[in-house]
Amino acid sequence: MSIAGERPVIPRRSRRQVDGWRWAGRIFLVLMLLYTAAPMAWMLLTSIKSGFAAMQMPPQWWPEEPTLASYAKLLDPQNSVGADFLRFFWNSLFVSTMTTILAVIVAVPAAYAFSRFSFPGRKFLFFAVLLRNMFPAVIFLVPLFILMRVLGLVNTHGSLILTYLTFGLPLAIWLLKGFYDNIPIQLEQAARIDGATRFQAFLLIVMPLSVPGIIATAIYSFIAAWNEYIYAYTFLSKNDQLTLPVGIQRFFSENTTDFPGLMAASFLMSVPVVVLFLVLQRYFVRALTEGAVKH
Amino acid sequence: MAHVVLKDLVKTYGSFNAVNHVSLTVNDGEFVALVGPSGCGKTTTLNLVAGLIPITSGEIAIGDRVVNDLDPKDRDIAMVFQNYALYPQKSVYKNLAFPLQMRKLPREEIDRKVKDAARVLDMTHLLERKPRELSGGQQQRVALGRALVRDPAVFLMDEPLSNLDAKLRVQMRSEIKRFHQDLKATIIYVTHDQLEAVTMADRMAVMNGGFLQQYDSPAQVFAHPVNMFVASFIGSPAMSLVPLEATTADGETVLTSAEGWILPLSARNARKVAAATSNKIVLGARHSTIKLHKSAVPGAVPAKTYTVEPTGDITFVQAFLAGAIVNISVPPTVAVAPDAAVWLEFDQDRIHLFDGETEMALNAD
Ligand SMILES: Nc1ncnc2c1ncn2[C@@H]1O[C@H](COP(=O)(O)OP(=O)(O)OP(=O)(O)O)[C@@H](O)[C@H]1O
Ligand SMILES: [Mg+2]
Repeated sequence: MSIAGERPVIPRRSRRQVDGWRWAGRIFLVLMLLYTAAPMAWMLLTSIKSGFAAMQMPPQWWPEEPTLASYAKLLDPQNSVGADFLRFFWNSLFVSTMTTILAVIVAVPAAYAFSRFSFPGRKFLFFAVLLRNMFPAVIFLVPLFILMRVLGLVNTHGSLILTYLTFGLPLAIWLLKGFYDNIPIQLEQAARIDGATRFQAFLLIVMPLSVPGIIATAIYSFIAAWNEYIYAYTFLSKNDQLTLPVGIQRFFSENTTDFPGLMAASFLMSVPVVVLFLVLQRYFVRALTEGAVKH
Repeated sequence: MAHVVLKDLVKTYGSFNAVNHVSLTVNDGEFVALVGPSGCGKTTTLNLVAGLIPITSGEIAIGDRVVNDLDPKDRDIAMVFQNYALYPQKSVYKNLAFPLQMRKLPREEIDRKVKDAARVLDMTHLLERKPRELSGGQQQRVALGRALVRDPAVFLMDEPLSNLDAKLRVQMRSEIKRFHQDLKATIIYVTHDQLEAVTMADRMAVMNGGFLQQYDSPAQVFAHPVNMFVASFIGSPAMSLVPLEATTADGETVLTSAEGWILPLSARNARKVAAATSNKIVLGARHSTIKLHKSAVPGAVPAKTYTVEPTGDITFVQAFLAGAIVNISVPPTVAVAPDAAVWLEFDQDRIHLFDGETEMALNAD
């Protein structure tokens, strides 16, 4: 038997193997989806039950009398619960947005510098930046609190923004540097020869190409700030300054039985993140640099 | 247009010298080809002239200005990159328009120049496409077009035709040559295709290991290579180089091989050998200057054929001679078998002699 005659067997067998793996992957993904989606579905279902229905045993799998009362209460500024919730929401939005904007403003030039320029201490600085992320966040709780007290920032949103930046920036810089590393340097060089200054080359050519990276960074910073609990809990004590995670927790430890209200609040809290993803995901297009250089 | 002067140019990466004391002058309107093997520093030299990387030492002047400290945008140059470097987010039209926009030309003028360039490069129908929607050859033409829309003092081209198919390459070669003649443009053109260099350039600069080896007209470089590197790099097939030893027999200088044969030298060649630093001599000869005999002839030396490659109008024969491989060309009517004994006759007036120690060409005076 000739070697050529045996050949077709090999790809056929390997394709079957691949199919096996593909199915295993699909089953795994479905399980993961159930694992993550089921609690969220339960949260949504509970949020539209009445307080009584939510406490029933055995549980009502599907609410018999769905109601939006909890949402109405939370979103009504006249109601004291609603007023608190909306204020927490606004506080969280402010802190997270400021963190995100500052993170992007600082991370973009920093990452670009790490990617493009060689300067003394570049390697050291880059690892110093990452060093921060090698320790669990709690370790810095007390030192940062003392620092904030010295700076007079305790009980201000500034303390949170600063803290979130110290956590978010290293990763943001690291992430963005990866993006800039992948943008061929010849593009900037071409722009500079075509008449652009170094800054114009960055602004007109490189920046637009790093939009997906900037958006990924922004989403990451926003979500991290939006969900953070420990620092918000430690640095802020005045009720009207609390952010959502702390606010919801504190608020409902006083009203332990209002499960639909708690679930509705939790659901509302996830809305901005979901909206952010939906709005920005179209910028996660395939590699923007395709066609720029010969490979 | 302007002339370009490189003076003792050095570029060092760490302890590695990518460009070593290169000095050369490109005259106003001259087409200079920079050739050499991969990694010899061609792109680096071009980048230094463009101002994209800092000079370690030396001086670059474009026109009458020393441009060492000028930004690329102020050097009045256009460049075609080895890997195209097209702006991926911009259409072909905008790629071509960008250099003109940066120079704040009026919109109508930009439009006219872009469309002119597109017509010359036969890409009018591609103007609205993005680079990723183009073939490799089309991308290369856009890269070329982006340089041609402008009217700079100097054009720098880094292997602008390397990715085109053979037919398009020949066509673009004449386009660029035509363009050079029409505009009297000063062009520094990097290529490792020596045929491109020979056919297009007024002068060629041969580089190796960061050093400039020879800078002269293609005809001169071909006829009088200054050292063994240039001799073997320029010409296809390469010049054959046979290591021999100089001795004296009956008062005459001759070359002897380890195989025992003796090659008498003309008086002029004997004078060249006398100038060598040792008795190690390398004999160089191009394929067309060696005569192949199938039987022993006075003055011819014995060799053994290795491969025979008919190409149609000429047949190339490789033969072993004194441990080296020698390229010979014969008319297609001559039948030669591989592994056959042959005798090679060298033309005393057209052989090259090199110093076996310094690898430099030997001169009679
Ligand atoms: N940024 C850099 N750091 C260190 N070494 C470099 C750098 N850029 C180039 N080199 C080295 O300098 C030498 C010359 O490189 P260059 O790109 O000029 O070669 P080239 O002649 O253009 O080759 P090719 O024909 O392959 O394009 C190479 O050995 C290369 O490895
Ligand atoms: Mg190169």
